Amino acid sequence: MSAIQLLLISAFLFLTLYYFVRLRNRIADVLLLVTLAAGAVLLILFPDWTNVLAQKLGVGRGADLLFYLCIVLFCFVIMKLYSRIRNLEQQLTDIIRKQSIDDAKKGSDLFNGK
Amino acid sequence: MQAANVYIIVPAYNEEKVLRSTVLSLLETEHRVVVVDDGSATDLYNCINDLPVHYLKHPINLGQGAALQTGNSYALKQGADYLLHFDADGQHQIASVEALLSPILRNECDVTLGSRFLAGNTTIPTTRKFVLHSARYLHYFFTGILLTDAHNGLRAMNRMAAEKIQLHENRMAHASEFLFLLKKNRLRFKEVPVTIDYTAYSKQKGQSSFNSIRIFFDLLLHKLFE
Repeated sequence: MSAIQLLLISAFLFLTLYYFVRLRNRIADVLLLVTLAAGAVLLILFPDWTNVLAQKLGVGRGADLLFYLCIVLFCFVIMKLYSRIRNLEQQLTDIIRKQSIDDAKKGSDLFNGK
Repeated sequence: MQAANVYIIVPAYNEEKVLRSTVLSLLETEHRVVVVDDGSATDLYNCINDLPVHYLKHPINLGQGAALQTGNSYALKQGADYLLHFDADGQHQIASVEALLSPILRNECDVTLGSRFLAGNTTIPTTRKFVLHSARYLHYFFTGILLTDAHNGLRAMNRMAAEKIQLHENRMAHASEFLFLLKKNRLRFKEVPVTIDYTAYSKQKGQSSFNSIRIFFDLLLHKLFE
Protein backbone atom coordinates (compact mmCIF):
# COMPACT_ATOMS: atom_id res chain seq x y z
CA MET A 1 0.00 0.00 0.00
CA SER A 2 1.46 3.34 -1.03
CA ALA A 3 1.58 6.46 1.16
CA ILE A 4 -1.13 8.29 -0.78
CA GLN A 5 -3.52 5.35 -0.40
CA LEU A 6 -2.96 5.34 3.34
CA LEU A 7 -3.49 9.08 3.52
CA LEU A 8 -6.72 9.05 1.47
CA ILE A 9 -8.20 6.06 3.22
CA SER A 10 -7.57 7.49 6.68
CA ALA A 11 -9.06 10.81 5.56
CA PHE A 12 -12.23 9.07 4.32
CA LEU A 13 -12.51 6.98 7.46
CA PHE A 14 -12.16 10.07 9.61
CA LEU A 15 -14.82 11.94 7.59
CA THR A 16 -17.21 9.00 7.78
CA LEU A 17 -16.77 8.77 11.52
CA TYR A 18 -17.33 12.51 11.85
CA TYR A 19 -20.55 12.46 9.85
CA PHE A 20 -21.66 9.31 11.59
CA VAL A 21 -21.45 11.11 14.91
CA ARG A 22 -23.05 14.30 13.59
CA LEU A 23 -25.91 12.77 11.60
CA ARG A 24 -26.79 9.90 13.88
CA ASN A 25 -30.52 10.54 13.61
CA ARG A 26 -30.70 10.71 9.84
CA ILE A 27 -30.43 7.14 8.66
CA ALA A 28 -30.78 7.88 4.94
CA ASP A 29 -27.98 10.45 4.93
CA VAL A 30 -25.66 8.21 6.94
CA LEU A 31 -26.35 5.24 4.65
CA LEU A 32 -25.62 7.34 1.56
CA LEU A 33 -22.42 8.61 3.10
CA VAL A 34 -21.20 5.19 4.20
CA THR A 35 -21.89 3.80 0.73
CA LEU A 36 -19.99 6.62 -0.92
CA ALA A 37 -17.08 6.29 1.51
CA ALA A 38 -16.93 2.53 1.02
CA GLY A 39 -16.86 3.06 -2.74
CA ALA A 40 -14.09 5.61 -2.38
CA VAL A 41 -11.98 3.28 -0.20
CA LEU A 42 -12.46 0.40 -2.64
CA LEU A 43 -11.39 2.55 -5.59
CA ILE A 44 -8.36 3.81 -3.66
CA LEU A 45 -7.34 0.24 -2.90
CA PHE A 46 -7.94 -0.95 -6.45
CA PRO A 47 -7.33 2.08 -8.73
CA ASP A 48 -7.43 -0.09 -11.84
CA TRP A 49 -11.17 -0.60 -11.43
CA THR A 50 -11.81 3.00 -12.41
CA ASN A 51 -9.90 2.46 -15.65
CA VAL A 52 -11.98 -0.59 -16.51
CA LEU A 53 -15.21 1.27 -15.75
CA ALA A 54 -14.06 4.31 -17.72
CA GLN A 55 -13.24 2.18 -20.76
CA LYS A 56 -16.69 0.60 -20.62
CA LEU A 57 -18.35 4.04 -20.49
CA GLY A 58 -16.25 5.41 -23.33
CA VAL A 59 -14.03 7.67 -21.23
CA GLY A 60 -10.28 7.32 -21.70
CA ARG A 61 -8.83 7.32 -18.21
CA GLY A 62 -10.29 6.45 -14.83
CA ALA A 63 -9.14 9.77 -13.40
CA ASP A 64 -11.17 11.63 -16.05
CA LEU A 65 -14.28 9.62 -15.20
CA LEU A 66 -13.89 10.52 -11.53
CA PHE A 67 -13.45 14.16 -12.46
CA TYR A 68 -16.70 14.22 -14.46
CA LEU A 69 -18.59 12.48 -11.69
CA CYS A 70 -17.23 15.00 -9.20
CA ILE A 71 -18.60 17.89 -11.26
CA VAL A 72 -22.06 16.32 -11.30
CA LEU A 73 -21.93 15.69 -7.57
CA PHE A 74 -20.72 19.22 -6.95
CA CYS A 75 -23.66 20.73 -8.86
CA PHE A 76 -26.08 18.48 -7.00
CA VAL A 77 -24.68 19.59 -3.65
CA ILE A 78 -24.95 23.26 -4.64
CA MET A 79 -28.61 22.81 -5.58
CA LYS A 80 -29.31 21.05 -2.28
CA LEU A 81 -27.63 23.83 -0.33
CA TYR A 82 -29.45 26.48 -2.33
CA SER A 83 -32.85 25.00 -1.63
CA ARG A 84 -31.97 24.81 2.04
CA ILE A 85 -30.96 28.49 2.01
CA ARG A 86 -34.28 29.37 0.40
CA ASN A 87 -36.14 27.50 3.12
CA LEU A 88 -34.16 29.30 5.79
CA GLU A 89 -34.85 32.63 4.10
CA GLN A 90 -38.56 31.84 4.06
CA GLN A 91 -38.55 31.01 7.77
CA LEU A 92 -36.63 34.18 8.55
CA THR A 93 -39.08 36.21 6.49
CA ASP A 94 -42.05 34.68 8.30
CA ILE A 95 -40.57 35.51 11.69
CA ILE A 96 -39.67 39.08 10.71
CA ARG A 97 -43.09 39.61 9.14
CA LYS A 98 -44.90 38.44 12.23
CA GLN A 99 -42.73 40.58 14.47
CA SER A 100 -43.09 43.74 12.39
CA ILE A 101 -46.86 43.30 12.17
CA ASP A 102 -47.06 42.86 15.94
CA ASP A 103 -44.89 45.94 16.48
CA ALA A 104 -46.74 48.16 14.00
CA LYS A 105 -46.82 51.81 15.00
CA LYS A 106 -49.59 54.19 14.21
CA GLY A 107 -48.05 57.45 13.16
CA SER A 108 -49.47 60.14 15.40
CA ASP A 109 -52.05 61.21 17.91
CA LEU A 110 -53.94 62.79 15.06
CA PHE A 111 -54.93 59.29 14.09
CA ASN A 112 -58.62 59.57 15.06
CA GLY A 113 -59.59 56.07 14.10
CA LYS A 114 -58.16 56.37 10.61
CA MET B 1 -65.78 56.38 -2.38
CA GLN B 2 -65.09 57.12 1.28
CA ALA B 3 -66.99 54.09 2.43
CA ALA B 4 -64.45 51.85 0.75
CA ASN B 5 -61.79 50.59 3.11
CA VAL B 6 -58.63 51.13 1.06
CA TYR B 7 -55.09 50.50 2.32
CA ILE B 8 -52.20 51.91 0.30
CA ILE B 9 -49.00 49.95 0.93
CA VAL B 10 -45.75 51.85 0.44
CA PRO B 11 -42.58 49.74 0.65
CA ALA B 12 -39.59 51.93 1.47
CA TYR B 13 -35.88 51.24 1.68
CA ASN B 14 -33.62 54.20 2.51
CA GLU B 15 -36.13 56.63 1.01
CA GLU B 16 -35.83 59.33 3.67
CA LYS B 17 -35.54 62.08 1.04
CA VAL B 18 -38.83 61.49 -0.75
CA LEU B 19 -40.90 59.32 1.56
CA ARG B 20 -42.48 62.24 3.34
CA SER B 21 -43.68 64.00 0.21
CA THR B 22 -44.97 60.74 -1.25
CA VAL B 23 -46.88 59.93 1.93
CA LEU B 24 -48.24 63.47 2.22
CA SER B 25 -49.66 63.34 -1.28
CA LEU B 26 -51.08 59.86 -0.65
CA LEU B 27 -52.83 61.11 2.47
CA GLU B 28 -54.71 63.57 0.28
CA THR B 29 -56.56 60.61 -1.20
CA GLU B 30 -58.04 60.03 2.29
CA HIS B 31 -57.14 56.36 2.16
CA ARG B 32 -55.16 54.61 4.86
CA VAL B 33 -51.42 54.53 4.24
CA VAL B 34 -49.16 51.69 5.41
CA VAL B 35 -45.43 52.37 5.18
CA VAL B 36 -43.28 49.24 5.30
CA ASP B 37 -39.70 50.16 6.13
CA ASP B 38 -37.60 47.33 4.74
CA GLY B 39 -34.70 47.58 7.16
CA SER B 40 -33.52 51.07 6.19
CA ALA B 41 -30.23 52.20 7.72
CA THR B 42 -31.81 55.28 9.27
CA ASP B 43 -35.17 54.92 10.93
CA LEU B 44 -37.75 56.22 8.47
CA TYR B 45 -40.21 56.63 11.31
CA ASN B 46 -38.62 59.98 12.11
CA CYS B 47 -39.62 61.35 8.70
CA ILE B 48 -43.29 60.57 9.12
CA ASN B 49 -44.03 60.20 12.83
CA ASP B 50 -46.29 63.26 12.82
CA LEU B 51 -48.47 61.89 10.01
CA PRO B 52 -51.47 59.58 10.43
CA VAL B 53 -49.93 56.51 8.81
CA HIS B 54 -49.32 52.92 9.82
CA TYR B 55 -45.62 52.20 10.14
CA LEU B 56 -44.07 48.72 10.01
CA LYS B 57 -40.38 47.97 10.11
CA HIS B 58 -38.37 44.93 9.08
CA PRO B 59 -35.33 44.79 11.39
CA ILE B 60 -33.21 43.67 8.41
CA ASN B 61 -33.51 44.24 4.68
CA LEU B 62 -35.46 41.43 3.01
CA GLY B 63 -36.40 42.91 -0.33
CA GLN B 64 -39.37 44.65 -1.91
CA GLY B 65 -41.41 41.49 -2.38
CA ALA B 66 -41.17 40.70 1.33
CA ALA B 67 -42.08 44.27 2.28
CA LEU B 68 -45.18 44.20 0.06
CA GLN B 69 -46.31 40.89 1.51
CA THR B 70 -45.83 42.22 5.04
CA GLY B 71 -47.95 45.24 4.11
CA ASN B 72 -50.60 42.97 2.59
CA SER B 73 -50.76 40.70 5.63
CA TYR B 74 -51.01 43.70 7.93
CA ALA B 75 -53.71 45.41 5.89
CA LEU B 76 -55.75 42.22 5.70
CA LYS B 77 -55.46 41.85 9.46
CA GLN B 78 -56.69 45.43 9.85
CA GLY B 79 -59.72 44.54 7.77
CA ALA B 80 -58.82 46.12 4.44
CA ASP B 81 -61.33 45.67 1.62
CA TYR B 82 -59.03 47.00 -1.11
CA LEU B 83 -55.25 47.12 -1.26
CA LEU B 84 -52.92 49.14 -3.43
CA HIS B 85 -49.15 48.98 -3.91
CA PHE B 86 -47.38 52.28 -4.44
CA ASP B 87 -43.63 52.98 -4.69
CA ALA B 88 -42.10 55.40 -2.20
CA ASP B 89 -39.60 56.90 -4.62
CA GLY B 90 -41.99 59.43 -6.09
CA GLN B 91 -42.18 58.00 -9.61
CA HIS B 92 -45.87 57.19 -9.38
CA GLN B 93 -48.59 59.79 -9.63
CA ILE B 94 -51.40 60.22 -7.19
CA ALA B 95 -53.93 60.31 -10.03
CA SER B 96 -53.06 56.66 -10.66
CA VAL B 97 -54.54 55.64 -7.32
CA GLU B 98 -58.16 56.26 -8.28
CA ALA B 99 -57.53 55.06 -11.82
CA LEU B 100 -56.37 51.71 -10.48
CA LEU B 101 -59.07 51.44 -7.84
CA SER B 102 -62.15 52.33 -9.83
CA PRO B 103 -62.40 49.15 -11.98
CA ILE B 104 -62.08 47.06 -8.82
CA LEU B 105 -64.62 49.18 -6.92
CA ARG B 106 -67.00 48.68 -9.85
CA ASN B 107 -66.29 44.94 -9.47
CA GLU B 108 -65.13 44.64 -13.08
CA CYS B 109 -62.01 42.77 -11.96
CA ASP B 110 -60.14 41.59 -8.88
CA VAL B 111 -56.73 43.05 -9.70
CA THR B 112 -55.54 46.05 -11.71
CA LEU B 113 -51.98 46.53 -12.93
CA GLY B 114 -50.47 49.85 -13.93
CA SER B 115 -49.05 49.99 -17.45
CA ARG B 116 -46.86 52.86 -18.62
CA PHE B 117 -47.03 51.80 -22.28
CA LEU B 118 -50.83 51.92 -22.43
CA ALA B 119 -50.62 55.60 -21.52
CA GLY B 120 -48.47 56.27 -24.55
CA ASN B 121 -45.68 57.53 -22.33
CA THR B 122 -42.84 58.67 -24.54
CA THR B 123 -40.41 59.83 -21.89
CA ILE B 124 -39.14 56.36 -21.08
CA PRO B 125 -35.39 56.10 -21.66
CA THR B 126 -34.48 53.82 -24.58
CA THR B 127 -32.42 51.26 -22.66
CA ARG B 128 -35.19 51.08 -20.09
CA LYS B 129 -37.70 50.41 -22.85
CA PHE B 130 -35.59 47.56 -24.15
CA VAL B 131 -35.24 45.97 -20.72
CA LEU B 132 -38.96 46.35 -20.04
CA HIS B 133 -39.98 44.76 -23.30
CA SER B 134 -37.60 41.85 -22.68
CA ALA B 135 -39.11 41.47 -19.24
CA ARG B 136 -42.61 41.38 -20.75
CA TYR B 137 -41.74 38.39 -22.88
CA LEU B 138 -39.89 36.76 -20.00
CA HIS B 139 -43.08 37.07 -17.98
CA TYR B 140 -45.01 35.60 -20.85
CA PHE B 141 -42.57 32.70 -20.97
CA PHE B 142 -42.88 32.00 -17.25
CA THR B 143 -46.51 32.84 -16.58
CA GLY B 144 -48.34 32.68 -19.88
CA ILE B 145 -49.64 36.22 -19.39
CA LEU B 146 -48.55 38.79 -21.96
CA LEU B 147 -49.01 42.29 -20.61
CA THR B 148 -48.26 45.64 -22.19
CA ASP B 149 -45.79 46.46 -19.41
CA ALA B 150 -43.62 44.68 -16.88
CA HIS B 151 -42.21 45.25 -13.44
CA ASN B 152 -44.38 48.13 -12.55
CA GLY B 153 -44.79 48.66 -8.82
CA LEU B 154 -48.33 49.98 -9.19
CA ARG B 155 -51.15 47.54 -8.68
CA ALA B 156 -54.41 47.30 -6.81
CA MET B 157 -56.46 44.33 -5.65
CA ASN B 158 -59.53 43.47 -3.65
CA ARG B 159 -59.46 41.53 -0.42
CA MET B 160 -60.20 38.19 -2.01
CA ALA B 161 -57.25 38.54 -4.38
CA ALA B 162 -54.89 39.69 -1.63
CA GLU B 163 -55.78 36.66 0.44
CA LYS B 164 -55.01 34.35 -2.45
CA ILE B 165 -51.81 36.04 -3.57
CA GLN B 166 -49.11 35.20 -1.04
CA LEU B 167 -45.75 36.40 -2.30
CA HIS B 168 -42.80 34.21 -1.42
CA GLU B 169 -40.21 35.87 -3.64
CA ASN B 170 -38.57 38.35 -1.31
CA ARG B 171 -36.74 40.32 -3.96
CA MET B 172 -37.79 41.82 -7.25
CA ALA B 173 -39.02 38.56 -8.78
CA HIS B 174 -42.26 39.24 -6.89
CA ALA B 175 -43.58 41.04 -9.98
CA SER B 176 -43.47 37.81 -11.95
CA GLU B 177 -44.66 35.74 -9.03
CA PHE B 178 -47.64 38.06 -8.74
CA LEU B 179 -48.68 37.34 -12.34
CA PHE B 180 -48.06 33.67 -11.81
CA LEU B 181 -50.40 33.63 -8.82
CA LEU B 182 -52.95 35.72 -10.73
CA LYS B 183 -53.18 33.02 -13.32
CA LYS B 184 -53.07 30.12 -10.88
CA ASN B 185 -55.97 31.55 -8.85
CA ARG B 186 -57.90 32.55 -11.97
CA LEU B 187 -58.33 36.13 -10.83
CA ARG B 188 -59.82 38.71 -13.15
CA PHE B 189 -57.31 41.40 -13.96
CA LYS B 190 -57.10 44.50 -16.07
CA GLU B 191 -54.33 46.86 -17.12
CA VAL B 192 -54.76 50.53 -16.46
CA PRO B 193 -52.67 53.27 -18.12
CA VAL B 194 -50.46 55.13 -15.66
CA THR B 195 -47.72 57.69 -16.07
CA ILE B 196 -44.31 57.12 -14.52
CA ASP B 197 -42.10 60.11 -13.80
CA TYR B 198 -38.49 59.30 -14.47
CA THR B 199 -37.01 61.79 -12.07
CA ALA B 200 -33.27 61.88 -11.47
CA TYR B 201 -33.92 60.51 -8.01
CA SER B 202 -36.04 57.54 -9.04
CA LYS B 203 -33.58 56.65 -11.79
CA GLN B 204 -30.73 56.64 -9.37
CA LYS B 205 -32.71 54.78 -6.70
CA GLY B 206 -34.39 52.37 -9.08
CA GLN B 207 -32.83 49.10 -10.02
CA SER B 208 -30.18 49.02 -12.67
CA SER B 209 -30.88 47.12 -15.84
CA PHE B 210 -28.26 44.56 -14.87
CA ASN B 211 -30.43 43.62 -11.94
CA SER B 212 -32.78 41.94 -14.39
CA ILE B 213 -30.29 39.09 -14.68
CA ARG B 214 -30.64 38.48 -10.98
CA ILE B 215 -34.42 38.55 -11.35
CA PHE B 216 -34.20 36.00 -14.12
CA PHE B 217 -32.27 33.59 -11.89
CA ASP B 218 -34.62 34.16 -8.99
CA LEU B 219 -37.48 33.24 -11.28
CA LEU B 220 -35.75 30.17 -12.63
CA LEU B 221 -35.02 28.96 -9.12
CA HIS B 222 -38.58 29.77 -8.07
CA LYS B 223 -39.82 27.42 -10.77
CA LEU B 224 -37.29 24.77 -9.78
CA PHE B 225 -38.01 24.82 -6.07
CA GLU B 226 -41.73 25.32 -6.03
